[in-house]
Amino acid sequence: MTDLPSAKGGRPLFLETPAQDDLLAIAVALAQEVAVMRERADTVERLLVQKGVLGPNDIENYKPDRSVDLAREQWRQDYLGRIFRAVKERAEAEAAGDTPREH
Amino acid sequence: MLMERQFDHGLLPHTHADERARQDFVQSLKLYLAQKVVPGIETVYEARVRPAFEKAHGRPPQDNYEVDAVMNGNYYYRLWASLYRTAQELMWCSAAEPILRQREDMARAAVVANPVGSLELDPALEVPRYLSAVDIHCMPGSYHGEAIAGDVTQGALYDRGVHIYGMGGLGPKLGKAGELVGQFIHEKFPQMRDRPLRILDIGCTVGHSTLAYAEAFPNSEIHAIDVAAPVLRYAHARAEAMGVPVHFKQMNAEEMDYPDNHFDLVVSHIVLHETSSKAIHRIMKECRRVLKPDGVAAHIDLCFFEDLSPFNGFMMMFDGPNNNEPFWGTLRKMKARNLLKDAGFAEDAVFEQFVSRAYQGQTVFSEGASDAGRGTWKIIGGMK
Repeated sequence: MTDLPSAKGGRPLFLETPAQDDLLAIAVALAQEVAVMRERADTVERLLVQKGVLGPNDIENYKPDRSVDLAREQWRQDYLGRIFRAVKERAEAEAAGDTPREH
Repeated sequence: MLMERQFDHGLLPHTHADERARQDFVQSLKLYLAQKVVPGIETVYEARVRPAFEKAHGRPPQDNYEVDAVMNGNYYYRLWASLYRTAQELMWCSAAEPILRQREDMARAAVVANPVGSLELDPALEVPRYLSAVDIHCMPGSYHGEAIAGDVTQGALYDRGVHIYGMGGLGPKLGKAGELVGQFIHEKFPQMRDRPLRILDIGCTVGHSTLAYAEAFPNSEIHAIDVAAPVLRYAHARAEAMGVPVHFKQMNAEEMDYPDNHFDLVVSHIVLHETSSKAIHRIMKECRRVLKPDGVAAHIDLCFFEDLSPFNGFMMMFDGPNNNEPFWGTLRKMKARNLLKDAGFAEDAVFEQFVSRAYQGQTVFSEGASDAGRGTWKIIGGMK
């Protein structure tokens, strides 16, 4: 992908700190990407129904068996580990007596 | 409510499913902010901020600047502002992605073999500083940015961006502003209705409004100017793809090459606020100069502060400092009538007309700015 373009002219500070504005912008961009993924999955489901591979309620009525439940739980734990990496590292640092230092 | 898809005139970029979903999300986000988040600002103002002001001063705020002084620091307002700015940035990024990917192809596709209209570019024309100092409305590259020969990127970006920005209120061909002015001219000047006119659209960008005049005034000769080459190339290719003959020229409206007494109708659409304190007077005068006697100039823009309640005026101030619109607030502080009189129009020959534009496209001529100001536009002008 080419770099996303930015506008000449600087960005005003809306909230108390630049970090708060940046985090909000990141959260909204992530919400956008979730919507993109949701729409892609929706397209797949609709195509599968349209082509007769799935019935209209097959996904809602799907009952995962035990092995699928276990695989999904493992995936979620790995996923949460990636998401909360910083929290885990913070705990380790606190335990080791490291406090955040001024930049 | 989901807006109509944009009319496909054949020049739109091929857009992948994920790119399309990103753009749809931005439009939904903008609609959500407008309908669910913005109303809370007035609620907060009425419930807490205005009463506190009245207690301190013994009177309500008398203008938008006094509201700004007490609302600009309000946390809820600033939360909306940060989200709105983010939506604006995501809008341009999401619109730009497929265009930048196909930049070369789009430039080639915009070359027209046998045009019914024309395109005259002037590579020596300098883009005025009021359009180049910052990227207007945060559109990366502004109107004039060029990276390759025959570049149409900024035109294509504007076309898609305006579609998303308009949230369905501008129609599938995005011609709403031109349609409104055309409709207004029909009603106010019936003598112009049934004869072919020579019409000039200034600051036409990609011709969204320009093309509306071909429908409103059949058999008319339509000219359109802009200072930026990329939007004009795109405008020309788009008009040709839609089969509408328009003569596009790269020209600064402050100093036009057209002779005196040349046009029956001179129009502009949401352009005045993107000029400057000096330029606007020159432009108004030039528009009058090129009009024939009994010709009409009509400019449509958002409302001026004089038209809005103190609170709505405050909400209207946002774009100046926060959306790269340097002249936005200065224009809205002006008196429309004075602008026209200074340009040479007789006092009894000038007009002002409010038009309301609902998000889903309904239009009503109205007596005043009836809503939060954003859905109401104002047509100002005069007869020579």
